[in-house]
Amino acid sequence: MSTTLLWWGLAALTLAGAAVVLLTREMMRMIIGLGAFLLGIAGLYAWFGFGLLAVAELFVYVGGVLVLFLLAITAMGRDSDSRAIARHFDIGAAVICAGLAVALVLALQGLLPASGPVAGVTVEKTADALLGAWLPQFEIAGVVLLAGLAAALAIVQGGDDE
Amino acid sequence: MTTLVLACVIVAAGLYGVLSRRDLVAVLASVEVMLGGASLLLVAYAAAGAAPAAGQGYALFVLAVGAAEAAVGIALLVSLVRRGRSRTDQIREVRG
Repeated sequence: MSTTLLWWGLAALTLAGAAVVLLTREMMRMIIGLGAFLLGIAGLYAWFGFGLLAVAELFVYVGGVLVLFLLAITAMGRDSDSRAIARHFDIGAAVICAGLAVALVLALQGLLPASGPVAGVTVEKTADALLGAWLPQFEIAGVVLLAGLAAALAIVQGGDDE
Repeated sequence: MTTLVLACVIVAAGLYGVLSRRDLVAVLASVEVMLGGASLLLVAYAAAGAAPAAGQGYALFVLAVGAAEAAVGIALLVSLVRRGRSRTDQIREVRG
C-alpha cells in the first residue's frame, strides 16, 4: 500500500514538473519545473529498484544538465523582461499529441507485463553486464560522450569566430 | 499499465512542447521531458523482464546519450543566441 502511494506521489511530482515546463512563461520557473520532473523520474527509477540509475539521473541530469541550462540562460545575458517565454495554445499540436499518447498505450499495452519493484539489481550485476557482454557498447557510449563534448566546444567556438 | 500510461503521457506532453513552443530553451526542455518518458518506459520493461540488471545498463546508455544531446543542444542554443536568434521561427536556413 505504501509503495503504491509512493508511486502515485512520484508520478504526481513528475507530471506537475512536466506541466510547469510546458505551461509557464517564466524561464526560471521552467528550469525549476524541469528539476522537479527530473527528481520525479529519478524517484520512479528508485521505486523500481534501480538505485544506480536513480543516482546517475540525479548526478547527470539534476546536477549536470540542469546547471547547464542555468549557465546557458546566464550566458545569454537576458534581462528579466526578456526571460518571459511566449506561450500559445496550439490545438493542432494538442490533438496530434493526444492521439499519439492513445496510440502508444494501445500499441504497447500487450507488450508490457505487470511490472513492480524488483530486488537484487545490484551494482555488481550491472557492472558485469556493462563490462562483460556489453563492453563494445559501453566503449561506444564513451566515444559518443567524447564526440558530444568536442561538438559542443566546436559549436560554441564557431560562434566566437563570426 | 499505470507506468505505461504515465510514460506515454509524458512523451506526448514533451512532443506538445516541441511542436507548440517557439523559444529554443523551452523546446530543449521539452525534448528532455520526452527523453525522460521514454527512459521511464524502458525501465518499466526492464523491471518486468528476465534480466533487470541488463536493462539498468541499457538505461544508463540512454542516459549518457541524452546528456550528450543536451550538451550539444545547449551549445547550439548559446551559439544561436549570440547571433540574436532565440526562437525557432527566427531560424530559417542551415549551412553545409
